[in-house]
Amino acid sequence: MIGHFPLRIAAAGLLLTAMLVALVVTEDRARAAGREVALPMEAFDPRDLLTGHYVALQMTQRLAPGRPCPTRTQPFDDGGWLALRAADGGFVGQGDTREAALASGGDLAVRGGVLCTRMMVANVETNAVTLDVGVDRFHADQAEAEAMEKVLRARGGGQAVPAFAVVSVGEDGRARLKGVILDGKRTDLTWW
Amino acid sequence: MAGYKARLQRDLDRWIADGLVPAENRAPILASVADGRRVDASVALGVVGALLLGIAAIAFVAANWDEIPRLARFGLILGVFLGVTGAAAWTSRGDARPILTNTLLMVAGLIYAAAIGLTGQIFDIAGDPQRALRGAGLAAGLLAIAGRSSGAGVVALVLLGFGEFAGRFDGGNTRWLIFAAPVGLGMAWLWNSRPLAHAASLALIAGLLAVIALYEKNWGMAGFLVGGALLAVLAGAARQVSDRRTAVIFMLWFVWGALLLFGVSGLDDLKGGLLVAHRAAWLVLAGGAIALGMHDRQSMLTAAGVVAMIAAVCAILFDLGLGLMTAAGLFAACALIALVAGFAIRGRAKA
Repeated sequence: MIGHFPLRIAAAGLLLTAMLVALVVTEDRARAAGREVALPMEAFDPRDLLTGHYVALQMTQRLAPGRPCPTRTQPFDDGGWLALRAADGGFVGQGDTREAALASGGDLAVRGGVLCTRMMVANVETNAVTLDVGVDRFHADQAEAEAMEKVLRARGGGQAVPAFAVVSVGEDGRARLKGVILDGKRTDLTWW
Repeated sequence: MAGYKARLQRDLDRWIADGLVPAENRAPILASVADGRRVDASVALGVVGALLLGIAAIAFVAANWDEIPRLARFGLILGVFLGVTGAAAWTSRGDARPILTNTLLMVAGLIYAAAIGLTGQIFDIAGDPQRALRGAGLAAGLLAIAGRSSGAGVVALVLLGFGEFAGRFDGGNTRWLIFAAPVGLGMAWLWNSRPLAHAASLALIAGLLAVIALYEKNWGMAGFLVGGALLAVLAGAARQVSDRRTAVIFMLWFVWGALLLFGVSGLDDLKGGLLVAHRAAWLVLAGGAIALGMHDRQSMLTAAGVVAMIAAVCAILFDLGLGLMTAAGLFAACALIALVAGFAIRGRAKA
């Protein structure tokens, strides 16, 4: 069943290792080169036994009073685009192509989906959109995760904690997570 | 093999006592049969010890995972993968330990799949699960080809199979398994590997189902019928080409697949003559599979026919809209037939 293939096996192992290293380096360069934007979000902190500690990211933002929901829900898997304001990460519009999304306004296009729902904020019902840009969790070590949880719990009484997911949008339109900002404190991804 | 030799020894003694075989031929006949591979206690203890050591190492790393810097975690994963692959390369020298090499390459394929997921987690690289599984499948395939490892080949097909159904089975428009399965069949044939023959045959059936599901709106019932016919032709070809065990495995699974696809094709909204023709053909094909299984003494083939027969009868009952009591009685009768057939097959196998 097995032939005399030590060199071939070793070469295959080295090739696969090199590919994994190349993936990490390429992603890091793309993350550094992309345009940074902070997306408003709601954060909560589940602990997943299988994947370690992470902060789940839900990029939900309220629409301006009176602004209607987008005409259709756009799942992420459909490969559509979202138009954002780079300054504050506000959602502007959506489209099947980059050009179609940017035609609705905004100055930054990112691949993603959007879902609009009605939600109650301070006893007032309003429209809110949840953006899906393919980034749904921030993996943190135990100390980082506990610090974030502490920040989230520090503000009780239903008062929202200002939270942002900092992503880098590359030329390919993909959003890559750079870090999170919780209550003004920024935590960046590092090599360490 | 050891079991066969013991049985042969008993038979030889009986034949010598009956005067059928000269007594002086006993030793040469037994010498011509090789002893089976035996794993002694020291090897077994060594394997258990290595496994426990591995589990202890994994538990230790898991307990301190959060304390390890990201780059070190990544290095650890790559180190484990390279270590196992290097060990496989080492043991493949001189073809002295084929089973160990095969096992190590299979483990290396699994570790690489885990490495892809863990790398994404360590560096927060968002990715499509389907793409990750397919990448891991291709990596295992590369290891399989590099070391002629049937174990890594099975891992490759399993990962590609998971990738076929991961994430966006309904929304995705690509199918890989239908292309990977024939490669697996070819490797199973060339390497005469039974596990790979099983995995590749199943992969072909799953791959066909995935392709048919993709075009179901356009093809409808025809897709299932053509798929079933294709598997039936392949089963016939495998039966004709060779009586090697791998060919028999191909044939058995293809018959199961053909009957499955044919059955599913009739669950569509068939009416009138088409419905009657389908049900009649289903019964005939099931009966044919049972007859062929009994002729070839292939219990798995007979079982496929029996299951198809029961499914066809159930479908006909549903079509007729019979009352629950009548249906219960007929189901019980079918179950009785299946049990009797099972006992008969078992009795024949023992004889």
